[in-house]
Amino acid sequence: MSGGMELKNEVLASSTCALCGACLDWCPYIANIEDHLVLRFDCNIQNGRCYSVCPRTFTDWEAISEKYLSAIPRDLAIGPYLKAYKVKAAKGINGQQDGGTVSYLVKTILEDKLAETVLLTGADDYITPQPFLSSEVDDIQKTAGSRFLASPGMRKIIEAQSNNVQKLAIVGRPCQIQALRKLDYNRPPQKPEMEVLSIGLFCMWSLGWAFRDYIQKEFPGEEILRLAIPRHGFEVTTDKGVHELPIDTVKKFSKAGCNYCLDMTSELADISVGAFEPQEGWNTVIIRTLKGQQLFHQAVARGYLVSEKYPEDELNRLKSASLGKKTRNLNHIQTAFDKGVKPFIDLNSAYYVQLKELAEGMVK
Amino acid sequence: MEWMITANEPGKTYLMQGNEAISRGALEAGIRFAAAYPGSPSSEILTMLGHVADEMEIYAEWSTNETCALEACLGASFAGIRSLCVMKQNGLLVVGDALHSASLSGVKGGLVLVVADDPSAHSSTNEFDSRHQSRSAAVPMLEPANMQEAKEMVRWGFELSEQLQQLVMVRTVTRINHGRSSVTLGEIPQHKQVPAVIGEWDRLVAINWFKDAQIAKIEQARTIFEESPFNWYNGPGNPDMMIITCGTGWLYGVEAVKALGVKDSVGILKIGTTWPLPEEFIVKHLVRTKKVLVVEEVDPFLEQNIANIIAYHPELNIELTGRHGQKIIPRNGELNPDMVRNALANMTGTTFQGPEVASIPFEEAVPLPPRELTFCAGCPHRASFFLLKQSLRIHEGRGVVMGDIGCYTMGGQRAGHFLFNFLSCMGAGISAAEGLGQLTRFGFDQPVVALAGDSTFFHTCLPALVNAKYHDSNMLFVILDNSATAMTGFQPHPGIGLTAMGKTAEPISIQKVVEAIGCPVTVADPFDIAGTTEIVYILLKQPGLKVLILKQECATLAVRKRKKAKVWVEQDLCRGDECGCGRFCSRVWGCPGNIWDYEAGKAKIDEVVCVGCGVCVSLCPAGAIKIEGGEAYE
Repeated sequence: MSGGMELKNEVLASSTCALCGACLDWCPYIANIEDHLVLRFDCNIQNGRCYSVCPRTFTDWEAISEKYLSAIPRDLAIGPYLKAYKVKAAKGINGQQDGGTVSYLVKTILEDKLAETVLLTGADDYITPQPFLSSEVDDIQKTAGSRFLASPGMRKIIEAQSNNVQKLAIVGRPCQIQALRKLDYNRPPQKPEMEVLSIGLFCMWSLGWAFRDYIQKEFPGEEILRLAIPRHGFEVTTDKGVHELPIDTVKKFSKAGCNYCLDMTSELADISVGAFEPQEGWNTVIIRTLKGQQLFHQAVARGYLVSEKYPEDELNRLKSASLGKKTRNLNHIQTAFDKGVKPFIDLNSAYYVQLKELAEGMVK
Repeated sequence: MEWMITANEPGKTYLMQGNEAISRGALEAGIRFAAAYPGSPSSEILTMLGHVADEMEIYAEWSTNETCALEACLGASFAGIRSLCVMKQNGLLVVGDALHSASLSGVKGGLVLVVADDPSAHSSTNEFDSRHQSRSAAVPMLEPANMQEAKEMVRWGFELSEQLQQLVMVRTVTRINHGRSSVTLGEIPQHKQVPAVIGEWDRLVAINWFKDAQIAKIEQARTIFEESPFNWYNGPGNPDMMIITCGTGWLYGVEAVKALGVKDSVGILKIGTTWPLPEEFIVKHLVRTKKVLVVEEVDPFLEQNIANIIAYHPELNIELTGRHGQKIIPRNGELNPDMVRNALANMTGTTFQGPEVASIPFEEAVPLPPRELTFCAGCPHRASFFLLKQSLRIHEGRGVVMGDIGCYTMGGQRAGHFLFNFLSCMGAGISAAEGLGQLTRFGFDQPVVALAGDSTFFHTCLPALVNAKYHDSNMLFVILDNSATAMTGFQPHPGIGLTAMGKTAEPISIQKVVEAIGCPVTVADPFDIAGTTEIVYILLKQPGLKVLILKQECATLAVRKRKKAKVWVEQDLCRGDECGCGRFCSRVWGCPGNIWDYEAGKAKIDEVVCVGCGVCVSLCPAGAIKIEGGEAYE
């Protein structure tokens, strides 16, 4: 096992950190402002919680998947899942991106008491993410829409633990769902179990906070109201109108740590939600566990969500998009490992070998 | 026996500190004016004169820097007033220009400049030897060998100064300033000097026309020194060898001769007038011997000037040794009795049977646990360094920190998480930062941070700040404003609102000064670690010159003014050695009030040491440190 110094030398120094936030708030050594996460002073702990929860320290994801999604049919491209749906909210929510599905899943969680508290991410303004714990349905309104800037939301786990939350729900990015599973997987035996229901988001990359400075400089004198990625590009809505940014310009601000991520669809979540690319106003929902299935059915039963059968060709497109991310980042990871970044996955394990073969097949 | 520095009891003998003797010497000379900038080991002198200023009808000031002090004395001297100027060795380097100029213009009223050297730099960052400047500036210099001489030399220095119309320097070392011995008092004159009228055609100007006069004065001083009672020889008529010594070296020499039992073969030539050397007097003694050991503090100044004399006197045949070339006494560091005795034993072929005392490392000689230099409990500098370190780490550890001189110099060590990259003299931090900050144009993109205390700000930072502002250097200037000149013992400075004589004055606001120069200034509380870290983070991202005042009163002063809060550790909550702590309060934060309870394996507060500032309460990751009562810190 390893501690803070190894986290610093292996993860932070190699910029593989995804800013999930799982190492924060327990530890007095790790400091964070905006998207900077550093070891502010040298730590003397040999076996650190930080190292054990980090999604960028060595992890046998197969074993974790086996433990939490044991009987679920495997899919190399989008992870274990039971079923996919095309979904949207029956009634729109202000500020929503795509179908508003996540908001109504959270509403269902709180109303049906599937969890007592939900970890959500709101925003102080149009862009700056603000993670918080809530048990109030009214708070959901604050969280509608996408945040874009990487937010270390998993830090709030510590607050939930100190509040003795028994049943927690989380809405998070793939790295955060990974950290969540790792946290439980490496949980010391004396530490009480916390039941968690996880809603995973689709994620290509998160943006570094320099993007905020950039966008403020780009539209001087305008009050920025909303950011969104509809199908065509990156949309900035200001008090003066709607501007578009080329997606490649935006992408340049993505966090370096996101290049080490092989998970687009939150493969370890109970239920994953993302955009439904072919049609605006709809979401893709992937049901992964029975808990996720139950949540989805209850939301539909309450009349909050309407669902349709997921189109086969769109499922193939989704899988190839996910494989595309995996392929790109697998190369990135291989290069990094070759350059001396401490391996955080075993690229020779059956799963990655299979993945590489599939990816190579796709390229051909 | 207790005594009063103002007691008019001629002939009475008291045990006194060297700095008391110096102050007394000035009072016996009837001074009416004294100015100084604090610096160990000289600081007590002006403090004492300030305390008795009203009673003795003198004026005393803590000047903003040493140049202000010397030139203020020069001003008083212009009106015929005897004035005493005091500083430490670094201060003398600050006044280099003023000193050389004053020597050219000369003085009217007696002006004695006491400069305290600090061999081995016990309370300094370095151990410069002041004597070079007396030679360079052609200023006569006296060097006392004990406390009585310190008093006499200061008193007589004023007479000499007026006789020559030249300022006179008295060079002391830490062992004189802070040592104690018996001193017999002289008389304090009842007559009080009154300022003379400065007439239309009176002049005190430092131009090269007066170079010949300056040379004549130093040659006149040499003639006077030939007969000086501060120089004497003690020993056999034709000694095998001679110790030539000045200052405290004399005491070491006497002790070494006694310890080795060589008084029949070794003589001691004691020099009190170190510059200009009484050449004839020295030659008269040198002709009687073949071997000379020179014993003196810091540089081989006396040694090399004697070498000069030997070079001009072919009749002398002397084997000269001392500190030069590390021949027999180490070139660096303070003398001690073992060092001088061993050198003498080496030269006389004798051996010493007794125990070595002074050379034993302190930790072996004294059964005390070793302690590192650190900030006091509750010191705002600890919080400032802590938050600056983390702010710079958040900036990917690429910041460059330019330190300066004060208590906070200790921040370059463990107490301040080794924050400094740079440390030079007073005011150098901001000046050097200005230069680094100009390299942005060549692609230098590291954040540059300069630090200075409030006293240092007034002392030497002002011109540098104007320079940095005018040339818009990319840098952050952090003023660690603890409202004190704490390192040297709380002498007031222009931001405090008090004078050396205990009078109130209108304090000068650092913030207003900085604003008037046109710099954007932020004032923040270093005790608000999280909030101020964010402020520093934001400032470091901004281009151009930024000024941050971290304001929180020195803990040693604050604790006297406030009701102390009770701080304690709820040990049930303390994580101790576990992950999520690792003794964060005692090991990393490092306040002497945060200690480790070895029995419980948990943190603990040393209630005697803790001043109740409460910063550790905000840092404890487990919320185990509690605080109750006390008056809030602003």
